[in-house]
Amino acid sequence: MDREVATLEKGSQMLQLELLRSEAGGGHGDGTASPSTDSLDSSSNSSFSRSSQWKAHESGVTNIVWVPPEFGDAIACICIDGTLSLWEEVEEDTQPLMWKQCKVFESASSGVLQVQFGGFATSLKLVAAYTDGHMKVYELMDPLQLNKWQLQAEFQNVIDSVCRYGKPSCISASLAWNPQRGESQKSSFVLGYNSDLSQFNSPKIWEFEEAHQRWLPVAELCSPGDGDDRVYAIGWAPNIGRPYEVIAVATCKGITIWHVGLTHESDGRLPTDKVALLEGHDGEVWQLEWDMSGMTLASTGGDQMVRLWQSDLNGVWHEQAALECVGGQQ
Amino acid sequence: MPGLASDPDNSIVPFDPNPPTPIIYPIQINLKPPISRIHINWSRGNLLHVACLRPAGDSGEGLAGGKVVEVKLGGADDGEIGEAERRRIAYGSVPAFALLQSRRNSLMAMARMSAASFRNEWWEHVLEYSNQISDLLGRPKLPSGSVIEDPRMVLQLVEKPTSLKAAWQLLKIFYVDRLSSAWLPEHLVDWLADYDGLLSKTDTTIHSKLAGLQKKLVDLQVVEDDPEYWEGISLALAVGWLDIAVKLLRLHGSYQLDQIDSRETENGLVEAVAVLVSTMPRMRPDLPTGKLGQSYKTKSDFIKAWEKWRGHIAKLDFSTFWVQCGHHQTREGLKNLLQIMLGNIKNITNATYHWMELCISHLLYMRPFTMSLEGMHSLAQKCMQLKPNANSSGLTEVLLGILGDNTEVVLAECSRTFGPWLVTHATELLSTENDEADILLHEERYNLGGISIDELHRLVYAQVLSSHPLTWQIAPTYLASCPKQGLGLLENLLYRQPVQHFQMILKNLEICRLYELDDISSRVMKIAGMYNWKHGKKGFGVYWLQQAQDEVRLNKIAQRLFECIGKSVSDDSFKQWEGLIELLGSEVGSAGGLEFLHKYRDFKRSLQQVQDGRANDVARQTVESLIQLMKSPSTPQRFWLPLLHDSVKLLNWKDRPLLSVSETNLLMNKLQELSLAKLRPDFCDTELPPKAIGSVRLALATNLARAILEEP
Repeated sequence: MDREVATLEKGSQMLQLELLRSEAGGGHGDGTASPSTDSLDSSSNSSFSRSSQWKAHESGVTNIVWVPPEFGDAIACICIDGTLSLWEEVEEDTQPLMWKQCKVFESASSGVLQVQFGGFATSLKLVAAYTDGHMKVYELMDPLQLNKWQLQAEFQNVIDSVCRYGKPSCISASLAWNPQRGESQKSSFVLGYNSDLSQFNSPKIWEFEEAHQRWLPVAELCSPGDGDDRVYAIGWAPNIGRPYEVIAVATCKGITIWHVGLTHESDGRLPTDKVALLEGHDGEVWQLEWDMSGMTLASTGGDQMVRLWQSDLNGVWHEQAALECVGGQQ
Repeated sequence: MPGLASDPDNSIVPFDPNPPTPIIYPIQINLKPPISRIHINWSRGNLLHVACLRPAGDSGEGLAGGKVVEVKLGGADDGEIGEAERRRIAYGSVPAFALLQSRRNSLMAMARMSAASFRNEWWEHVLEYSNQISDLLGRPKLPSGSVIEDPRMVLQLVEKPTSLKAAWQLLKIFYVDRLSSAWLPEHLVDWLADYDGLLSKTDTTIHSKLAGLQKKLVDLQVVEDDPEYWEGISLALAVGWLDIAVKLLRLHGSYQLDQIDSRETENGLVEAVAVLVSTMPRMRPDLPTGKLGQSYKTKSDFIKAWEKWRGHIAKLDFSTFWVQCGHHQTREGLKNLLQIMLGNIKNITNATYHWMELCISHLLYMRPFTMSLEGMHSLAQKCMQLKPNANSSGLTEVLLGILGDNTEVVLAECSRTFGPWLVTHATELLSTENDEADILLHEERYNLGGISIDELHRLVYAQVLSSHPLTWQIAPTYLASCPKQGLGLLENLLYRQPVQHFQMILKNLEICRLYELDDISSRVMKIAGMYNWKHGKKGFGVYWLQQAQDEVRLNKIAQRLFECIGKSVSDDSFKQWEGLIELLGSEVGSAGGLEFLHKYRDFKRSLQQVQDGRANDVARQTVESLIQLMKSPSTPQRFWLPLLHDSVKLLNWKDRPLLSVSETNLLMNKLQELSLAKLRPDFCDTELPPKAIGSVRLALATNLARAILEEP
């Protein structure tokens, strides 16, 4: 049932595998990043090998996110000190294959916690969530070059923008774009914080309104009374034809599954429906990942288990199976 | 996989409302504990990559920092069928499935067809389909071609049949073979004859007993003294394996030539029983060669023969010859066989192991007529009480689901035991004759995201197929048969295919074309284009971007070419771009003003020749192409100055002025226009030295003066 595909370096602290392009990337505590390429052949025996490693930053790398493949093989690195840099793999006639830095996003006051790419039917957009509860949306100006970005919007993750809130201190941010790639689809993403200010925590869906060129909150994924919950992870399920979207949100209470309607109500909001609260991981949930059909949710958490969740024929969600990683001597 | 329904109020299936505790699968990871962090990522289809990392600060030389393990999810795998065989079945079932789908579509298209004839025709297609699939799962073994038959070979130990085929046959018997429903009991007898050994892996079955006896027979001298011999005969007889029973009987010692005189009566009794066994009336259209019994097609004929046959048995039972039979085991053994044939429940129960065998025995000797499903279900329940089996196999669970007339249970059991392949292919059988099942399978459900159970199973199967690089290519056939979400999943699948290999891209694009997925096709080409562009294969990159008709990116590429050309006075770097200009061709001419690039290339070439010191006429030609370039609206304004600057040598041509007055005026006007444009904010400055414009202006003025003097 399982087989080993790669061995990682000492000091690897986080890892992003993305089989979209059969590649994996590792970030290291010592600030190096190392994507691996899956040497794919037509047999089933694909395996990873590290294709390159370089020092991306002085401080450690906390997160790596792959750029959509329409824009080349590139990653975004988030470092402990909150800087965000973009690296891409290039190969010129005269030079061998190398990873080169194409952009560094610097911010004096606050650091980047999380970044995700999306909305790439029209142009590539990047949302970065910052430690002060702000988020910035950048747009790529030239699809051939990852160094020309324009700041499109900057706002806070709160519904009521008129009220004045204090400055939150955010530990982590969870962010997911609507994975739909269709041309007709409006760009939207969902973002929730793990911070000390409850207004910033609850996940909100932001949608880009073309007419006024602005981002509007169209739904808030929290039930009354749950607004204080710090958000640990968010996963937006691929929609291959459902009449609603499915979003999974992990808080200290467990994993909630939300159905979000596709058509706006009269007040401009999207109807939301909490369909399940799944308990299983004791403690923090680290990661939520949907499979390609959006039918199975995989989660990892502080209990060091991988849990798989599915809905049955009556729409009741339950834990289908769990994977326990058992270490052994090398 | 989504399985049993679980709402107690709405569900037809009785079940435990408390969900079962999930199974925990351990993954062995060759990594020294502790594990500090786990990361997951979905790979192709149902493959999940799990990365386990050790704490960063943990010292230990030479230890790996983490491991990545690939876990394959879903798809029941009991190890009965190997990977390669599974793939053979997967590939082999595609044509049958696709044919059935296209037949359904064409039947649907015939609007005028009456419901009855529609059903009839559809049923014939399904029958053909089910035969194709069962052939695929393994053909029945033909009797061995050996002329000399080994008399002691009672049980043909052929290649082990698979549970998968057994399950398929079971579904076929109950759901498709409706013409032969009158002979259902005999169908089940045949089914058990083929698959008895699969009923249980751990418990004893008649098959396992007979296989044991077969091994023993070779060494046995006096078979009739061995109780196992008599048990073997009774077992074979109880489930209607008449040929085996008769063959075993004829191994009886009294048949041997040296003994036939002394054991005449005994031999007569054995033979009489053997004859009775081999003339058993069977309610079926025909019997395959080698099988014993007499077949009767109509119920009335059968009843007559049945009564007569039982009369013979009873007569033999009460015969006086038994007293003369001196061999105790023979007497008891034969009497037992007679009681089995007479349907004595006690003897039958003793002569069977599994409840299913008892059930078949009932059908053979006690109630030889087809009964309702309900009747069979209660019979099965009764047999289960008499023969409780500790371990139920998936096969018997499927059978119980069928007898209980519960499609949901049948599907859930098929899915649990045999995996998505069987469920996907069997739904066609289940709904053929059963309206209720048809509704159940094809009703669109909001909870499933607006799809039917049928479609759900196809999606699940397609996802399993797409987990493997050798099977993902057949997933589209199944996805295309999904009316609601199939193409959505196919798009996701194609988007995730790697683009590093040309052949693979072509395959992806072919699938896109077949299912008219233009959007994803252009996306695949864009990805391929960008990959090649960024990896030094600029020409290939441009090719794919052209295929994708990606004007935005091509325009950007053209812009970059302009920039390069604008900078490149030296010819080395120009050569790098020359091929690319060729490749960009005229197709994108409208898109990127690349017509200019071609003219510019020609101009550069002849300018080169001029600099090599060629004659006046070459210089004149170069001037002509300069004029053409300057006149052409497709020449970007920012190239005017570099063009003129490159041509200063021509303007100052020693022998004679190369430009006429009007030509010089044209160039001077352009230069003037350029000076005005400099004031506009969007002006794009070139990297020429600041003196460039002055030197061009001077050269133009000189040329003009000379031209005026020369012209008449």
